[in-house]
Amino acid sequence: MKLLRRFRSIPVSYRVPVFVALLMVVISAAISERVLNRLSRTQERFLDGLAETYLDGLSAAVVPAVLRADVWEVFDALDRSSASYKSLAPVETVVTGPDGRVLAASDPNRIATYSELPADYLNRYGPDVVTIDETRLTGFARRDLAYQGQPIGTIHATFDVSHLFAERREILVTLLITNGVLASLFALGGFVLVRQMIGPMRVLEDHMRSAAHGAAEPISPREIPAGDSEVAGLFRGYNALVHAERERANFAMQLAEEEKLSSLGRLASGMAHEINNPLGGLFNALDTLKTHGETPGVRDTSISLIERGLAGIRDVVEAALATYRPERSQRPMTAADLEDVHLLLKPELRRKRQRLDWSVVWNGAPELPIRGGPVRQAVLNLLLNASAVTPEDGTVSLKAMSAEDRLHIEIGDQGSGMPADIAGILIDQDPGPAVRAGRGLGLWMVRRVVDDLGGHASIALKRGGGTAVTLIIPFDSEDAKAHAA
Amino acid sequence: MRNLGNPHRATDGVPITRRDLITTAVSGAAALFAPAALGAEEESFKFGLTPVFLSNDLELLGHLRSYLSAMIGSQVELVTRRTYQEITALLVSGQIQSAWICGYPYVQFKADLDLVATPVWHGKPLYQSYLIASVGRNVDDWTGLKSDVHAFSDPDSNSGFLVTRALLAENRQLPGNFFSRSFFTYGHRNVIRAVASGLAQSGSVDGYVYEVMRETEPDLVKQTRIVRKSEWLGFPPIASPKSASNDRRVKALQQALISMEDDAEGRKVLALLRLDGFAATDPSLFDAIAAKVGTVRQFG
Repeated sequence: MKLLRRFRSIPVSYRVPVFVALLMVVISAAISERVLNRLSRTQERFLDGLAETYLDGLSAAVVPAVLRADVWEVFDALDRSSASYKSLAPVETVVTGPDGRVLAASDPNRIATYSELPADYLNRYGPDVVTIDETRLTGFARRDLAYQGQPIGTIHATFDVSHLFAERREILVTLLITNGVLASLFALGGFVLVRQMIGPMRVLEDHMRSAAHGAAEPISPREIPAGDSEVAGLFRGYNALVHAERERANFAMQLAEEEKLSSLGRLASGMAHEINNPLGGLFNALDTLKTHGETPGVRDTSISLIERGLAGIRDVVEAALATYRPERSQRPMTAADLEDVHLLLKPELRRKRQRLDWSVVWNGAPELPIRGGPVRQAVLNLLLNASAVTPEDGTVSLKAMSAEDRLHIEIGDQGSGMPADIAGILIDQDPGPAVRAGRGLGLWMVRRVVDDLGGHASIALKRGGGTAVTLIIPFDSEDAKAHAA
Repeated sequence: MRNLGNPHRATDGVPITRRDLITTAVSGAAALFAPAALGAEEESFKFGLTPVFLSNDLELLGHLRSYLSAMIGSQVELVTRRTYQEITALLVSGQIQSAWICGYPYVQFKADLDLVATPVWHGKPLYQSYLIASVGRNVDDWTGLKSDVHAFSDPDSNSGFLVTRALLAENRQLPGNFFSRSFFTYGHRNVIRAVASGLAQSGSVDGYVYEVMRETEPDLVKQTRIVRKSEWLGFPPIASPKSASNDRRVKALQQALISMEDDAEGRKVLALLRLDGFAATDPSLFDAIAAKVGTVRQFG
């Protein structure tokens, strides 16, 4: 099991060739076994046939000589037959007479004429025509000689069968080499094939991995294989997905920009109103100064009026600048950021005659390790939304509380409640569907800010009607350290 | 008498051997290719050859037939048989007109045969019989060969049987007692092969054949050594039956043999035989062999 698991952990581009090679080894082992088995049977049949022929020929030649016990004639026949049967490779042939004594041997120096036949010659034969002794690489055969039905002697033949084993060995080596080469070629072929098959998947995998890190790039046309329609279809499908995602993102960004401009427009009209209000007073004070400027009391009062009016205008302008200038958005958050939001919201509240419950509990530090700009943007958006859904003369609330490592902000309204799909933009894992529907772009901006700052949002129904949106934004850890230091 | 000391005689028991059949077939074929033999005015001249040597040397036989045919002016048929006895029987019975036989049959049938010519070897019409053993054998003289398995050439051969038989007789021995076993190989070359292979421990062989084979088959001869050389004896002669003494072709044969060295074809034959020539010799040349026959008869 462990081995199987380990095998499965090997990449498929190596696993398949190894498997192919193993399969080839098994197949070649089976084939080799069959071939060698067949070969050995064929060889034995061939050897039996040769031996029979040899013994037949020799019998015919020696029977008359054996009958006469003619030593020379028997020897001469043996001597001549050894040259005639080279393919059989007879090593030694012995002819015995009826008494079992040697008449002649092919090598008389080894087995002398008229001697007793060595005992091992009688015990060496098996049931087959040719008995093979594999250790000595020799084969043995015997033939009883008879004349008119009477036994007159025996031929004992010994053959060199080393060439049979050499042939078997040679074929085995040939099989091993051939199968080895084939197995290697198949393994290599399998490796190349699998690599080639996996190659496009790897391209897709790389692109998807980089897409997961936010950089979804389409696969270049050069990488789309021309012949492989399946892979090409897959790649084109992926590219279509990337293009659709990009279009959607662009569209969303465009809508967000428009939303931003629309809220800016509302703010701008509020600001104009805010600036316009003191302007009437300022012009009155100027008229008073022109007419009764010499009167010290009137002059001082008018100047003071003008000063206060101008200060009000400056505050509004500064708040707007702080909110919409990107370079300022990176600085740490201060209580003033929330005050600016309050200031920017004031005209809208006044227009709708709404009240703002304002509760900010600051922990005493001048600034928090959170980027101020995005938080102001998010809080402003939420408050504008709250104001929009709250009826005239209603109350909008903001509670902010800085804890040890995070900032809690709760914005409350008296609206009829947030539809689930809109609320999903803020709280769902995937805000996509609601965003794709082109709704709640203000909330989507808030979601982006919250995600960007690593925080999260929640929505709850308030007792007595209305909705409360809570943002929890953690302190930036690096900034927090710096802040602590 | 000739069968003495010959326990495995070829012609006993089995009437025809394979070799007989082959030689018969060969001579039959030769007869077919000799048109003069049938229907001709004169029957072909039959010349018998014992296996005294250089058996089945077809090149030699071709040259010899061609030379003799040209010189005798008649178709010559060469007749070969396996044993001396067969050729001797054909010769004595007049079935062949002439034959190259051994000195032993010649002296046995001297009364029925005329001496035609005797080969001259190393300048003399003489040769020796050798007793040989394998080359590694450490024996000083022939007595060291006691209890051997001994190979004889032919029971009718002088050098291949009679000389050794007589040597033993002179020493009051019989081959059956002196040697543990003995057998005939029916050829001098076969005796050398038997001794070289170890089939026999010693052998009786024609010295002339042995010396010629020293040239032609040195590897075989090197495996043997000479233990004893006999005295010089009359070289196996060419003889004809007395019944053919009026045949002009016998005279022509004698002339052809004696003048062989004067003819190119004849010189080819002599070169193949390693002989100097042929000479007309006196029958007394074979008295020494006759004496050996006497010794053997006397002893046994």
